[in-house]
Amino acid sequence: MYIKEISVENYRNYDELSLQFDNQINVIIGENAQGKTNLMEAIYVLAFTKSHRTAKDKELIKWDSNYAKIKGDVFKRNRSFPLEVIFSQKGKKAKFNHIEQKRLSDYIGALNVVMFAPEHLNLVKGSPQERRKFIDMEIGQIQPVYIYHLGQYQKILKQRNALLKDLQRQKQTDRTMLKVLTEQLIEHGSIVLKKRLQFLQKLREWATPIHDGISRGLEALTIDYEGSINVSEDTDLERIIETYTSYYDSIEDREVERGTTLAGPHRDDLIFYVNNRNVQTYGSQGQQRTTALSLKLAEIELIDQEVGEYPILLLDDVLSELDAHRQSHLLNTIQGKVQTFVTTTSVDGIHHETLKDAQIFNIHNGQLLSER
Amino acid sequence: MYYPEPITKLIDSFTKLPGIGPKTAARLAFFVLEMKEDDVLDFAKSLVNAKRELTHCTVCGHITDQDPCSICSDQSRDNSVICVVQDPKDVIAMEKMKDFQGKYHVLHGTISPMEGIGPEDINVSTLIERLKDEKVEELILATNPNVEGEATAMYISRLVKPSGLRLTRIAHGLPVGGDLEYADEVTLSKALEGRRDL
Repeated sequence: MYIKEISVENYRNYDELSLQFDNQINVIIGENAQGKTNLMEAIYVLAFTKSHRTAKDKELIKWDSNYAKIKGDVFKRNRSFPLEVIFSQKGKKAKFNHIEQKRLSDYIGALNVVMFAPEHLNLVKGSPQERRKFIDMEIGQIQPVYIYHLGQYQKILKQRNALLKDLQRQKQTDRTMLKVLTEQLIEHGSIVLKKRLQFLQKLREWATPIHDGISRGLEALTIDYEGSINVSEDTDLERIIETYTSYYDSIEDREVERGTTLAGPHRDDLIFYVNNRNVQTYGSQGQQRTTALSLKLAEIELIDQEVGEYPILLLDDVLSELDAHRQSHLLNTIQGKVQTFVTTTSVDGIHHETLKDAQIFNIHNGQLLSER
Repeated sequence: MYYPEPITKLIDSFTKLPGIGPKTAARLAFFVLEMKEDDVLDFAKSLVNAKRELTHCTVCGHITDQDPCSICSDQSRDNSVICVVQDPKDVIAMEKMKDFQGKYHVLHGTISPMEGIGPEDINVSTLIERLKDEKVEELILATNPNVEGEATAMYISRLVKPSGLRLTRIAHGLPVGGDLEYADEVTLSKALEGRRDL
């Protein structure tokens, strides 16, 4: 799949801009603070209806305007269709093929995007929350129904935490409602967990050989899921539900005492090992970066496997962060099959033949200076 | 505002209604000025009467001008089935169907700890009392199919289960006259879950 064209209106520092893209490599060049990352973000928003940088949609609207619009023409499975996301003071609208989609899960997945930015290099050593966000986003774009279960889970979690606070302060003493919310939490939490484990198994199959390739056979990568209960991707859903049920029973008093939910997918984490050593604690910076790169490359392959087409890759200021060896490994992998967007302040640091045929956009102060 | 005080007050009153902003409120207020005095008096009376004369039925919680309400005091209705709904509007929706001959119980809301609404804040205790007195055989839980509605239904079922009466939950899935191909995945999976033998 690839994006043929994108146009933005009153978005971030752009008044109006429309760009036509090459279906291979597109390089966006500009000084700092000219709007390079904003363009990458626009593509990301078109795929997920939200930014990777901020949770506040209003920040996407140009400061002197009251709405922002992002439109794109996507070519996928031998047909092209328009996507549109509009932000206003009232909220946002997402349109697929000119028709508004009320449910997020009906829209997400139309355009598949993998983003690799400097902050992703920290995926390994960053907070568990970042790793959960990574896994949730990726499963969501392959299986939109995952977003529904995750959303329900988070809603019930909020209710349950509010009730646990009441029980802790003894504003409420009856635990019947807690049992109900626990049952509901488990219903959706089990599906979230099961889907995460299945996703991880597939990701592992891709990431391990890729990591082996980048490290020239010196490093063996393994990925573990660290959850509150001990289950594997082969455990069936009923067994997961049973295990959660007895676990929540055993910690109920402790949860009331602490006034919050102490177990579930919202507290789980991913652990990476290289040669059987925990990369987060013992890995060098280089190993952590290689791991992050392997994961992103595995993601691209996994989306191809699940969706049937390669996703769009966004490389935001990240090429210059990688050494020549990792750079060429990355560029060789995507060459000729993945539409890629690269932002950089200059092409000087990037020596690779793939960039020679790239379409180059020069951006200055929210405007297109030149195109080649 | 540059309006004389009486009309400003009227506009303010209209804005208190749901779905009405300042512009619509101003339009309605000016329309009232043009209305015949009798009609305005009638309107004002209806507002006051609706508020004063309508109460909640002490048996089922439905809005009524006589207590117990016309449904609860109707001898021809089936006393053995009670349909539990969230809102008086749900009773009216059910009644329009003209198919349900049982009685109702209106909860006036759903349990939502986040908003500080506990089981004691909705009309559950009277339901439990009712089940002790009346000869009820089946309780239909017809709260909305969302997280809070589902939780409330599950809560009531836990309370009532020990008594051994029949507990049912309304079905959810495909709308009548709908097309399978346009249904979203979640609705479809619910429909599949609730399939029945033919």
